[in-house]
Amino acid sequence: MDVRTQEFAAAANRELKNERSRNFLGRLAPYFARSCAGAMKTFPDPAAAVACGRAIRADAVARLPDLLEQFAKNALACGAKIIWAKTAAQANEFILALAKEKGVRYVAKGKSMVTEEMGLNEYLKTNGIDAFETDLGEFIIQLLRRPPFHIVGPAINLPVEEIRDLFLAHGVIDEPTTDRIALGGAARRYLRDKFRRLDMAVTGVNMAAADTGAIFNVENEGNIRLCKSSPAIQVSVMSLEKVVPTMNDALHLLRLLCRHCTGQKLSSYVSIDCGPKKPGDADGPEELYILILDNGRSEIYRDVKAREALRCIRCGACLSVCPVYGKIGGYPYGWVYSGPMGQVLNPLLLGREQTRDLYFATTLCGACRDVCPAGVDHPRLFLHYREQQASSVRAQGLFFKAWGRLVKSGGRWHFAVRLLRPLINRFAANGVIRKMPGLMNGWFASRNLPALAHKTFHKQWKKQERQRDAGRR
Amino acid sequence: MPDDVRRFILRKLKNAPAGTAPSRPPLPPLPVLSLNREELISLFTENLAEQTGMVYRAANAQDIKPHLAEIAAREQVKIMLAATDAVLAPLHLRAWGKTTGVEVLTAEDFPDRESYREAAFNRVQAGVTGADWGVAESGTICLLHDRDQPRLISIAPLLHIAVLPVERLVAVYEQVVQSVYADKNRLPAHFTFITGPSMTADIQGGPFKGMHGPRKLIVILVG
Amino acid sequence: MKTVSLFIPCLVDLFLPRIGEATYRLLARLGVRCIYHSEQTCCGQPAVNAGFTKEARLAARHFIDVFGDDEAIVSPAGSCVCAVKTHYPELLENEPFWRERAEALAPRIYELSQYLVDVLGVSDCGAFYDGKVAYHESCHILRGLGVSAQPKELLSRVRGAKLVPLQGAETCCGFGGEFANRYPEISTAMVKEKCENYLASGADLLLLNEPGCLLNIGGYLSRHVPDRKVMHLAEFLAAAGREER
Ligand code: SF4
Repeated sequence: MDVRTQEFAAAANRELKNERSRNFLGRLAPYFARSCAGAMKTFPDPAAAVACGRAIRADAVARLPDLLEQFAKNALACGAKIIWAKTAAQANEFILALAKEKGVRYVAKGKSMVTEEMGLNEYLKTNGIDAFETDLGEFIIQLLRRPPFHIVGPAINLPVEEIRDLFLAHGVIDEPTTDRIALGGAARRYLRDKFRRLDMAVTGVNMAAADTGAIFNVENEGNIRLCKSSPAIQVSVMSLEKVVPTMNDALHLLRLLCRHCTGQKLSSYVSIDCGPKKPGDADGPEELYILILDNGRSEIYRDVKAREALRCIRCGACLSVCPVYGKIGGYPYGWVYSGPMGQVLNPLLLGREQTRDLYFATTLCGACRDVCPAGVDHPRLFLHYREQQASSVRAQGLFFKAWGRLVKSGGRWHFAVRLLRPLINRFAANGVIRKMPGLMNGWFASRNLPALAHKTFHKQWKKQERQRDAGRR
Repeated sequence: MPDDVRRFILRKLKNAPAGTAPSRPPLPPLPVLSLNREELISLFTENLAEQTGMVYRAANAQDIKPHLAEIAAREQVKIMLAATDAVLAPLHLRAWGKTTGVEVLTAEDFPDRESYREAAFNRVQAGVTGADWGVAESGTICLLHDRDQPRLISIAPLLHIAVLPVERLVAVYEQVVQSVYADKNRLPAHFTFITGPSMTADIQGGPFKGMHGPRKLIVILVG
Repeated sequence: MKTVSLFIPCLVDLFLPRIGEATYRLLARLGVRCIYHSEQTCCGQPAVNAGFTKEARLAARHFIDVFGDDEAIVSPAGSCVCAVKTHYPELLENEPFWRERAEALAPRIYELSQYLVDVLGVSDCGAFYDGKVAYHESCHILRGLGVSAQPKELLSRVRGAKLVPLQGAETCCGFGGEFANRYPEISTAMVKEKCENYLASGADLLLLNEPGCLLNIGGYLSRHVPDRKVMHLAEFLAAAGREER
């Protein structure tokens, strides 16, 4: 998938003008808050349930190397084939080679963020193998060639007219319709045929339990279950941080994941695999490949602060509560992962350079951190990335150098503040500053500033202190 | 070569500064654990209904077939694909079908995987399975897939009917998983949690059922 | 008699000194003696937020030097309190001497409403106001400090004032320091919504206790709806009290 993180600001401004998206987004946060809170009520103490989930993910990240090794050993013992890939390219090459070796013409995909991260679809396509996304939302955005708008509903913002045109253009429907049900039904029929003849499927993994080697998938549509039932070859791609210590840990995370994802107690389908089908079974894969992808994560892991981002379980809750996402939607983030989740992950996976906007376009309001069932502390990570990049902006560096000299001394600080007052107040009229040419244009685009008071608090206090002292004397 | 990659990745992870594993607070016991049988049943039913799954009650094994017949007639099921699991096998559905005009197929009826797939996707109107467990906390049924519980039966047809003996209804997932995954040498290849029919809300957030799998899920709770 | 040490952060000192005065007046009226260290500067939040940790550490050490011995420090700016409480121990994690002092300091610094309700046990400030008010939950106060009940408690005891619900009260107003200037379109969309919710709430005054939000919301109102006001809780409680007398 193309990386467009550097176009963040321009794309955000474009999306701000998109009335339809804005309308949808305006309803998202309250809807999410209601449904999530409703589902969390089944816990006697929702905060304790979240704390428990956060501790599981913290534990999993802290013990990642051992857990991963244990998982791989157990999965292998179940008969799964474990493939390790350092990079997205390696992973793609493996899947292509497997498809070629098995002589499959196309593969079906279950929803999987990690394969989008790898750019698997494009890679297979250019090498002569079609890859069909089978989750309805993913299917639509694959035709549209856009990144997901929201991780939970990749195409949820699109008007039906756009989907109609898209389906017509790609032969999913023959007759135009804007009926939601008819469009869904058409996609079902189109993909059903693919499933029936399917030889090889590629899915993601939501969780992997170290104690058994089992992999978990969570979904509502059933496309992943079909991917695990119909074809003879199943490839399940997991980024290496998906592992959790035990089956019970996975079960509790499931509770939190579904509640934070769609407000359900449990999604329609959870499927758990330990190895391929047994001889004599009527269906299921003859061969199950579990592809463990690193793609930079082992490097991220060396940064003790940054690696806490690996706790993320991709529930999408932080998108739904983010006030910035709530204005601009998922496109401006410019890659697979959007919203606060993308703001913490993309800089790690793509580098801090081309993702600067992602960790600056935040008010650090903490709504994401508060809602996160995995315990990701987004604001803390943003500050960490900023720190790592601070030296790259010279002008700011000089400013803070000077600032640092002043801040150490009350005398110097208040002297400087005194000098500042007339400079700023030059722009004031009737107690209000409406603009300061060349300075803070962004602020003044829509806001005034009050003129600076005649005296700072500091000065007033000193004066009153003198008066009080004089009075006492 | 692949082993090199494995070693490389694991070495790199292990060479990173060690993390301190946090203390793990226990999960306060879920209230569902203290429910009695009838309460479990009603919670199970309520939760499944939230996801538009339906629960029918059958007093005993004899009572299952009238339900099946009624459903088959209402949903215009002419051919159904049935599992041969421990719950369904004693019911002899094939013989029952002959008397009611419903053709009951099982995976064994097909000479190869291709013809079985073709039937599961295109010929049958319903899949019938037993359910190995029910979990009240979310209104979920659990299926342990094996030779007698093929995977496609409960996901390919538009209607899924599952028969759940009430003594297999438990409160929370852990009670199921602890027993299923207890023996490390006999782990199930495929285990599913099913909580309602196949659903999506991907177009404009509006619900659409039967996206890829069943449009309806009916659980017949026996006992 | 209780004594508190006032921490008056930059924005208040420079732009909104009246909030500092109101804080002082309010505390004095409630029988609290205020001291003010004139050596105080900035808590370092701008440097932390910009990623200049080295410089932020200078501010942190200075702050600890200035305030380190005070029994209670009170500030009308929750985000600065939050910076001292949460950022300092981490900023100074590799300097045991300073980290210990930062950790010792953290529980002694309070946002104003938090101090009034939790420490002084006051909820009635003797204030009076004839009208409807709404309360904006500033992010750093609500989520950073977990302070939300306290200001509402204080408001509920203001005679004549009716606290009306504000839609999206907990949603960020779009300030975020440098964010507001750097991403003006996004920030404006956020503050616009905040103001629209305020206007729709039926309140005739919007109250909050964070100077950053005050500049942002106030700046937007001043430009677009100049007859509608936003006010810091300290000013509201201090001034309203005066009126009654
Ligand atoms: S960061 Fe947290 S809230 Fe956001 S998607 Fe990941 S787990 Fe969910």
